[in-house]
Amino acid sequence: MGLTGREEQIRAAPATPLQTAQSFLTNTVDSSIMKPADEKSLRAWWSRSERKVVPYVFISPFYILFIIFSVGPLIYALYLSLHRWPGTGAMRHVGLGNYTYLAGDPVFLKSLWNTVYYAIGAFLFILPLALVLALLINSTLIRIKSLFRIGYFLPILTSTVAATIMFLLIFNNQFGLINQGLALLGIPALKWLDEELVKISVLAVATWRYTGINVLYFLTGLQSIPPELYEAAQVDGAGAWAQFRYITIPQLRPIALFVGVVTMIGSFQLFAEPLLLANGGPNDASLTIANYLYRMGFTNAKLGYGSAIGWVLALIIFGLSFIQLYLFGAFRKED
Amino acid sequence: MDDTLTRRAQRTLAYGFLFFILIAMATPFVWMLSNTIKEQSEIFQMPPTLIPDEPHLRNYVSLFVDFDFARHFLNSAFIAVVHTVSHLFLASLAGFAFAKYTFPLKNFLFLVLLGSMMVPLYTIFIPLFVLVIRLGLVNSYAGVIIPGVAGAFGIFFMKQSMEAVPGELLDSARIDGASEFRIYWQIALPLVRPALAVLAVLAFMGSWNDFVWPLVVLRSRELQTLPVVMAGMVNLYRMEYGVVMAASLLSTIPILLLFLALQKQFLAGLTVGAVKS
Repeated sequence: MGLTGREEQIRAAPATPLQTAQSFLTNTVDSSIMKPADEKSLRAWWSRSERKVVPYVFISPFYILFIIFSVGPLIYALYLSLHRWPGTGAMRHVGLGNYTYLAGDPVFLKSLWNTVYYAIGAFLFILPLALVLALLINSTLIRIKSLFRIGYFLPILTSTVAATIMFLLIFNNQFGLINQGLALLGIPALKWLDEELVKISVLAVATWRYTGINVLYFLTGLQSIPPELYEAAQVDGAGAWAQFRYITIPQLRPIALFVGVVTMIGSFQLFAEPLLLANGGPNDASLTIANYLYRMGFTNAKLGYGSAIGWVLALIIFGLSFIQLYLFGAFRKED
Repeated sequence: MDDTLTRRAQRTLAYGFLFFILIAMATPFVWMLSNTIKEQSEIFQMPPTLIPDEPHLRNYVSLFVDFDFARHFLNSAFIAVVHTVSHLFLASLAGFAFAKYTFPLKNFLFLVLLGSMMVPLYTIFIPLFVLVIRLGLVNSYAGVIIPGVAGAFGIFFMKQSMEAVPGELLDSARIDGASEFRIYWQIALPLVRPALAVLAVLAFMGSWNDFVWPLVVLRSRELQTLPVVMAGMVNLYRMEYGVVMAASLLSTIPILLLFLALQKQFLAGLTVGAVKS
C-alpha cells in the first residue's frame, strides 16, 4: 500500500544511481499519462484520509525508537537479570539467584546506603537552601533579582565531568583550596576525600551544581501565587510568618512535588561525581548504585547481575515516586 | 523609624546571604580559571595565589598538542549538532501532531509518552549496550545519537507551544491544497521559532555534557567526546591539574555563550515542565 507507480518501477529495476535519477525525472514528467486510473484513485484515497493517517506518521518515530531503545531493553534487562552471562557464550538461567545474591552483597548494600545518604542529603540540604534563596530573591527586600537568578544557575551548565574536575582542586586532601583556607585560620587540614568525609564532598559538588535549578523552580512556583491572597491576608492582619505558613507553603505544593520527584530520581542516578572525585572509594565509601551497576555490568562483565541491580534501582525509583505522589495528595481528587 | 531600621537590617542580611552564596558558587570557576595559567608546583603552593606569579598558556598548548583537544571538541560538536537538529525535527513534528490533530488513542499515546520519561537510564543501560553492539552501532557516532534522539520531553515541550498556533491558519492552507507536512513545515514551524530556540539550547547542552552513554559506546579514542576524554585524564596516574582544568574550562565555554545569548527565553522555557505538571 502507498507505493506510487514510479516507486514500484524503481524498486523493480535496481539501477545505477544515475539511471535511477534519470528514470525518476522522466517519470515525474509523464506520470499523469502513464498511470491515469491508478493514480487518480490513490490520490482520492489520500485526500480523503490524509488527516487521519498523518498524525500517526508524525508521532511514529518516537514510538518506534521508544519501543526499540527503551521498552525492548527494559524487558531484556528483566530477562538478563534471571541469567548469568559474561556478555559472550551461553546464558545460564539462575532464576532469582541474582536478586537473592544482591540482598546479601555487602558492596551493593553499601552502595544502596550511600545513595540513600545522597538522596537524604539533597532533601535536607539542597532543597531547603534553594527554597530560602528563592524566597529571598522573591521578597520585596531584594531589587537586583536577575543577578542572583542567573548567577546561581550557571553551575548546571557545566557537565558533571567538568564540575567534578573543578572540585578536585578544592577538596584535595593535602593542598585543596578548602584545606589551604583552613591552614590560614590555623586549622589542620581535613581529609575531604577519605572514607569519613568523601560523601560530604560529593554532596557539596551536587549542592553547587543543582541548587540553582531548584531556585528557579521554586521562584516559578512563588511567582505563580496570586498576590491577592497576600493582600487579603494583610487586610485580615496576618503577620509575615502566618502568611508564609498558610499561603506560601500550601500554594507551593505542586511545585514542591515536582522538585521532590526530580531530586529523588536524580539522586538515585548519581554517577559521575563519586566516580571522578574518588573513583567510588575509598573502600567504596562514595560508591552509588549506578557506579556499582557500571562496575558489575561493564568492568566485571557480569551482565545478568548488573541488570538485576538496574531493576532493583527501577523498583526503588518507582516506589519512592509513588510514595511522594501519595504523600502530596496527587491521587486525591480535591484540586 | 524603628520599622525602617529593622527593614534596613533585614535587607542587609538578605543581600549579605545572597552574595555569600553567589561568591561561594563563583569560587570553583575562579579557582579553575586561575589554575589553568599556573605551573603545577604553584597550584599546590601555600598560601594559594589567585593571579599566578608567572602566568602562562602552556597548559592550553599541552591540551591541544598532547591530548588532541581540537579533535575531541569537534567530536562533541558534531554529535551535539546532529542530535539537536534531528531532535528538533522529530519533537516538533510529533508535538504538532499532538497539538493540532484529534485521532483515536491520542490521550493514551500521550500518557505513554509521559510515562516513558520515568524509565531510569541505568535500568536499560546494559541491554541497550548489548543492542547497540548487535546493531553494529558500537564505537560510532550513530550509536551515541540514535537511542536518545526522540526524547519525550522535547515532544511535550513542543506540544505546549504548537497549541498556540491558530487552527484557522492551518485550515486556510488546507483549502489552498497544501499537504499536511507542508502545513507543519511552512506554517506551524516558523511560528514556534522561540520555543525551538529554547529546545535547541536544551538539546545541545544535554548532548554536549552527556557522559555515561558516550563513555560506553565510543571505544576508540579518536571518536571520544570531551567529557569522556576529560574523565580519562582524571584517571591518569600522574595528573596534570593545570591541563585538566584548562580542558574543563574550554569545554564549558560553548554552553556558557549559548546560554548567555538566549538567557531570557531559556530560563522561561526551562520551567515549562514544572508549571504544567
